[in-house]
Amino acid sequence: MRVIKQRPMNWIERLYIFEAIRGLWTTLKHAARGLFRYETLPTISYPEGQPEIRNTYRAKHRLMLRPDGTPRCVACGMCAAACPAHCIFIEATQSDDPRIEKRVMRFDIDHLTCVFCGLCVEACPVDALRMDTKVISFEHRTREEFVSHLFDLTNWDPKDYPNDPQSQVAPGGTKNAEALKVWGMEVK
Amino acid sequence: MSNYYNMPKLPTEASPKVEIFVDDKAVMVPGDTNLLEALKAVGIETPHVCYHPYLPVSGNCRQCLVEQEGPRGRMLVISCYTPVTPGMKIYTPASSARVKNARKATQEFMLVNHPLDCPICDKAGECTLQENYMECGQNESRLRPEYGKNYHGNPAHQFVDAKGQVRGGKHVDLGPRVLLDEERCVQCDRCVRFMRSIAGSEQLQLAGRADHTYITTFPGEKLDHEYDLCVTDVCPVGAMTAKYFRFQKRVWLLSHTPTVSMDDSLGANIWLDHADGRIYRVMPRCNPEVNRSWLSNTSRLAFQEFDKNRLPSMELHKVTFGNGKIAIVAGGTCTMEDLAAMKMLKESLGDRAELFGGSLLKVTAPDGIAKSGDPCANRAGMKLMGFADVSELLKRASEFETLFTVNANLFGEDANAAKVLEKINTRVALTPFDDETAKKASIAIGVRHWSEVQGTMVNSLNIVQKLSACPVCPDEGLKAPYAVVAFLAGEKLESAADAFKKVTEYVPAFAGLSYDTIKSTGKLLEGGNA
Ligand code: SF4
Ligand code: SF4
Ligand code: SF4
Ligand code: SF4
Ligand code: FES
Repeated sequence: MRVIKQRPMNWIERLYIFEAIRGLWTTLKHAARGLFRYETLPTISYPEGQPEIRNTYRAKHRLMLRPDGTPRCVACGMCAAACPAHCIFIEATQSDDPRIEKRVMRFDIDHLTCVFCGLCVEACPVDALRMDTKVISFEHRTREEFVSHLFDLTNWDPKDYPNDPQSQVAPGGTKNAEALKVWGMEVK
Repeated sequence: MSNYYNMPKLPTEASPKVEIFVDDKAVMVPGDTNLLEALKAVGIETPHVCYHPYLPVSGNCRQCLVEQEGPRGRMLVISCYTPVTPGMKIYTPASSARVKNARKATQEFMLVNHPLDCPICDKAGECTLQENYMECGQNESRLRPEYGKNYHGNPAHQFVDAKGQVRGGKHVDLGPRVLLDEERCVQCDRCVRFMRSIAGSEQLQLAGRADHTYITTFPGEKLDHEYDLCVTDVCPVGAMTAKYFRFQKRVWLLSHTPTVSMDDSLGANIWLDHADGRIYRVMPRCNPEVNRSWLSNTSRLAFQEFDKNRLPSMELHKVTFGNGKIAIVAGGTCTMEDLAAMKMLKESLGDRAELFGGSLLKVTAPDGIAKSGDPCANRAGMKLMGFADVSELLKRASEFETLFTVNANLFGEDANAAKVLEKINTRVALTPFDDETAKKASIAIGVRHWSEVQGTMVNSLNIVQKLSACPVCPDEGLKAPYAVVAFLAGEKLESAADAFKKVTEYVPAFAGLSYDTIKSTGKLLEGGNA
């Protein structure tokens, strides 16, 4: 345990009036800086200015895609089991591809309940779920719109993730043609 | 391969106790059983895959190894097929590193070509391999990634997956209800033994040899049997999957309600596995005296109709029963509590009311597995309560002016009977379903289904068994039949326990019983006459 001993105030400080003037001076200084030298302020004026967000920041989720455009998600429910907020809802069904058994039919994340802890991403055994979209603001008119559905979660553009090889495998990505060949479907 | 007659002997309360030495400590165990069961009786669990208490012992998985002191020193033996002998010296992993290593090696071999499927496997969460891995496996992987896993199932089902790996047999259609995953199968042959020795119809076989063994049906034939869904229960892994439950729910999300299947008078013990207010699957609940670990497809799949075609709840008003004679008819799914309430109703109406019970469906012969063939589940209970059979009512139908049925779909069960009963003018039906009887009734009152009520029933073996209420009632306003009948009788039964008190008053054989003194596997009645 660390004990912090406060230095007793001297008599000028105890007089109050000089300290009050000093406080006002600080406020005035910053107000003047905001007016004349705005660029040097350490804060950003959101929303006109946007913060720089790294791809490791836990932002809105997305579901990764296979070369043929189906979600990588195998509907195992591990993310829902790991989620401390119980805000992931999954329903599974049989896949049409004979090589794949199970596919996801419904995948909803309620972003009003989500605490953006990232445990779902850690839990996913097939790297289907990521939180690297850099989308940090959620504004909608109704509560229902805050629930992201399968379409919303898979609707992202590989061009936004140029340095991520896994994203480039998805349709529209630079590695898609190559991946489709391995996947077993010839590109025409 | 197993031979036919080596059914394991299970310990009972009457088993003689013998002294054996486990890890050099003397313990008293049941003397007439195998080592695996004996160790279990003293709280030592032995991991096993191929052993099943109600199937002949096959001894092919070697997961249950223990060490036994013999004339040639300490030897590894399989505990599932080693009989207990007095004074034998046994070593478990608690004291023997050799046993520990042997089990670990067995486990590692079993997983060498096992797919990494747990995330999509319906067995995950209740899988024997997963349990064994946590208990005695947990090896560092020695697999060389460049070789990957091998597929050793039926060569006809082989394919190359998206990663270029040879895989196969992921959904082999065995029959109308069961799918097989050849990659997950560990060749324990439990399913084969079940079909051969329990179902009595050898529809599954192991084909191929050694490492390339796989499960199959005979060419051109399908797995199709009244008990074929039991192979999905006995299968220790996710190889046999039931089509109706496939991918429906992860098993750890299910809650389990222990109850009794009320579609047959054997009263097979079941678990109702439910989540989000609906039943997802029905599993057999082991009861050595009644259905062991088995359940017929009819009983298992009946739940799909439980929430369909239901009557809504409504406000109850007192019914006046006129002046003529009243026939009170109990259907087969009435619990003892319902019967007691009906007896109360009869008492409130006096001599002009008569009690009948039963069903018009055909009684067939018992199949010796999990069905007695009598669709009237609580027939023994009706006898104890003094209900006459419905056939009696059909003979004397013209005497009655009011027909009061509870859970009895007499009009739907028999068209000829319907014609006779239609002559009775006033018909009151208490039923969960909007069935023929409800449609023909002057007043139909919706009640809870047997899966949604607490209660008791007496099965054909004269065992009192408990039903529990599964919280899946589609309409919370619905009341249990006993509560509605008691209300009509001008009395009040607040809970099933109150109704059960009435039962103990009416039936001498029930005297002194309460829900707490009836075990989960039921209580055999002494004084019954069923
Ligand atoms: S980030 Fe956390 S709270 Fe949000 S969905 Fe994932 S696990 Fe749940
Ligand atoms: S953990 Fe991954 S694969 Fe499993 S359901 Fe969630 S997103 Fe899908
Ligand atoms: S049977 Fe299924 S749950 Fe069990 S270890 Fe294999 S893949 Fe996993
Ligand atoms: S299908 Fe299941 S029960 Fe049958 S041999 Fe394979 S693992 Fe055993
Ligand atoms: S359980 Fe004993 S050998 Fe399989």
